[in-house]
Amino acid sequence: MDELILELKQQIIEALNLEEMTPDEIDTDAPLFGNDGLGLDSIDALELIVLMEKRYGIKLASPTEGKAIFQSVKTIAEYVNQNRKK
Amino acid sequence: MNIAVTGEGIICAIGTDKSSVLESLRRKETGIATMRYLRSQHHELPVGEVKLSDDEMKSLLGIDPSLEVSRTSLMGMSAVRQALDDAQIKGQLSDRIVFISGTTVAGMDVTERHFTEIRTLDDHLSCLDYHNCGDNTRQIADHFGCFSEYTTVSTACSSAANALLLGAEMLKAGEADIVVAGGTEALSVFHLNGFNSLMILDKQQCRPFDETRAGLNLGEGAAYVVLESEEHARQRQASVHAYLTGYGNACDAFHQTASSENGEGAYLAMQQALTMAGLKPTDIDYVNAHGTGTPNNDLSESVALRRVFGEQMPPVSSTKGFTGHTTSASGSIEAVICLLAMHHGFLPANLGWKQPMADGILPTQGEDNRPLHHVLCNSFGFGGNDSSIVLSRNVECGMWNENTHASDSASDLPHSTKHLPPSTITELARVEITSEDELSEIRDFVKPLEARRMGKLMKASLLSSLKALRQAGIDCPDAIITGTSLGCWENTEALLIQIEQEGEVMLSPTYFMQSTHNTIGSNIAIRTHCHGYNITYTQGDDSLEWALRDARRLLQSGHCKTVLVGCHDETTPLYRSLMERLGVTDLPSIHSIAIVLTNKS
Repeated sequence: MDELILELKQQIIEALNLEEMTPDEIDTDAPLFGNDGLGLDSIDALELIVLMEKRYGIKLASPTEGKAIFQSVKTIAEYVNQNRKK
Repeated sequence: MNIAVTGEGIICAIGTDKSSVLESLRRKETGIATMRYLRSQHHELPVGEVKLSDDEMKSLLGIDPSLEVSRTSLMGMSAVRQALDDAQIKGQLSDRIVFISGTTVAGMDVTERHFTEIRTLDDHLSCLDYHNCGDNTRQIADHFGCFSEYTTVSTACSSAANALLLGAEMLKAGEADIVVAGGTEALSVFHLNGFNSLMILDKQQCRPFDETRAGLNLGEGAAYVVLESEEHARQRQASVHAYLTGYGNACDAFHQTASSENGEGAYLAMQQALTMAGLKPTDIDYVNAHGTGTPNNDLSESVALRRVFGEQMPPVSSTKGFTGHTTSASGSIEAVICLLAMHHGFLPANLGWKQPMADGILPTQGEDNRPLHHVLCNSFGFGGNDSSIVLSRNVECGMWNENTHASDSASDLPHSTKHLPPSTITELARVEITSEDELSEIRDFVKPLEARRMGKLMKASLLSSLKALRQAGIDCPDAIITGTSLGCWENTEALLIQIEQEGEVMLSPTYFMQSTHNTIGSNIAIRTHCHGYNITYTQGDDSLEWALRDARRLLQSGHCKTVLVGCHDETTPLYRSLMERLGVTDLPSIHSIAIVLTNKS
């Protein structure tokens, strides 16, 4: 799981152009969206959907579906772990 | 000055001229269907295609079938031909006839067809001559040869509405005798996949304002109207079909692709249009909503409509269930639909609607025998480029406000400047960026998290603009006017390459949302919280001049005290190599200029 979490953080940094961040700086449990956490927005949510499909073969039908999954790196890791196709 | 509408032309999914469109509207027959002409793999996505192949259109227009002409141009030519014939304009050479076209996709259908081969072969390289929005407009204008000037407006889905606004302003300022204004946009694999990456395309027929709405269906088409002063129309004994009595342009200044919760930009645009027309909300007999069918637009527009009309909501419908969302052409296509409804006295239906949406307006299901005197037509674009127009059957004395009153004297002076002292337009600041090395300075203005998605042109345009505003001591200008030849080509190219290499899979939404030309001006508006007039000109090397002309007009009219004008373009190594093979050398990697103007009189 730790390996997947680190991989996800690296993927997120790359996909969302968070060039100036390192995986250490992303709190695994902190909210990704909204002002309290990393401060990602709706376009980031779409980029994360692209990432899920490309990297893990997980197809999400809508951003609404992504909302629950993309709460934190931890929730993404749990979902990927259970649903990944590649 | 009363702006008369004396001719219309239209081609879209429900018909190839006014009479066939009218018939479909009255029969409530949609033009949205399974893809037939677009060469995309996404057959699961219904589209509103014009039911003619490129070759059929060429044959109707008398164009050599061996010539490769963009579908955007072909549809544009068809609609312009109809509009000129309808207004009985037969090239009166003493008149200055100006052509104003709204488009964003332009020649992309041809470019994407040849994108791979032009990298190595010269055979189709010349397709790049017609790729740009401005070149597309030039091609349409050249087909007729009767236009003294032409220009292009690219504000995404409000492009055609803004073309009408600009046309009216040029007439009022005495810069044209007749204007042919509207927009044209063909479906392309590029923007179908782009919209798909934003996850706002419905796999079923779109259902604007319905609780179950799940997105839009893309459409295509073109429509143009002929505008002239009432006096000019009377002089040449043209029949006046209606009047463009009001219009408004505002910026939501909220998000690159989404509308704000309170619909601020939409609200401001509608208010301005009503004020200019001298009308009360209760005078409006019908609203043709932007109503795309996306959850976000229809909710935001409902809020804005309620802010304008309160409890006395006039009949509202979105006609995108007929035509699909014709993007840059939607403003003029829906304006012509409004004119048809007004002439034949009926309310167009809101196809697809069944179930009221939470907090949404209740659209009309269509009604015959409804006299319509004044109608409002909304067009909202990415980046919050929101515009509304009011069309009126007749001009009544009671509805004239101060603006329209000025036209009753015989003076030749543009109405809006008549009572003003001569203007003294002054340049307060000018900043130019010519090298990528300068872009690191963006950190002084924008946080890394906010700048991370911006390509070099987005950074350059924002940096030059914010520096110029700082020099001028202004936080928020009254208007933002942008010129660009290519827009964010870096993003366009990245998306084309992604489609080429990966196919029509889930593409990067970031690339797509920056590929529209107006993303530059709307990005500046978002940063400066500027809800004022916001427009983008895409007329090649003349883009800056058109932007400056608009700025001068705004300042002279007294509507604005400060205007931010800019012109921004970028190239990539690939683009430069292609252009070098076409004989165009020394293109800069980046060039951004921002100017702050004021009227000190």
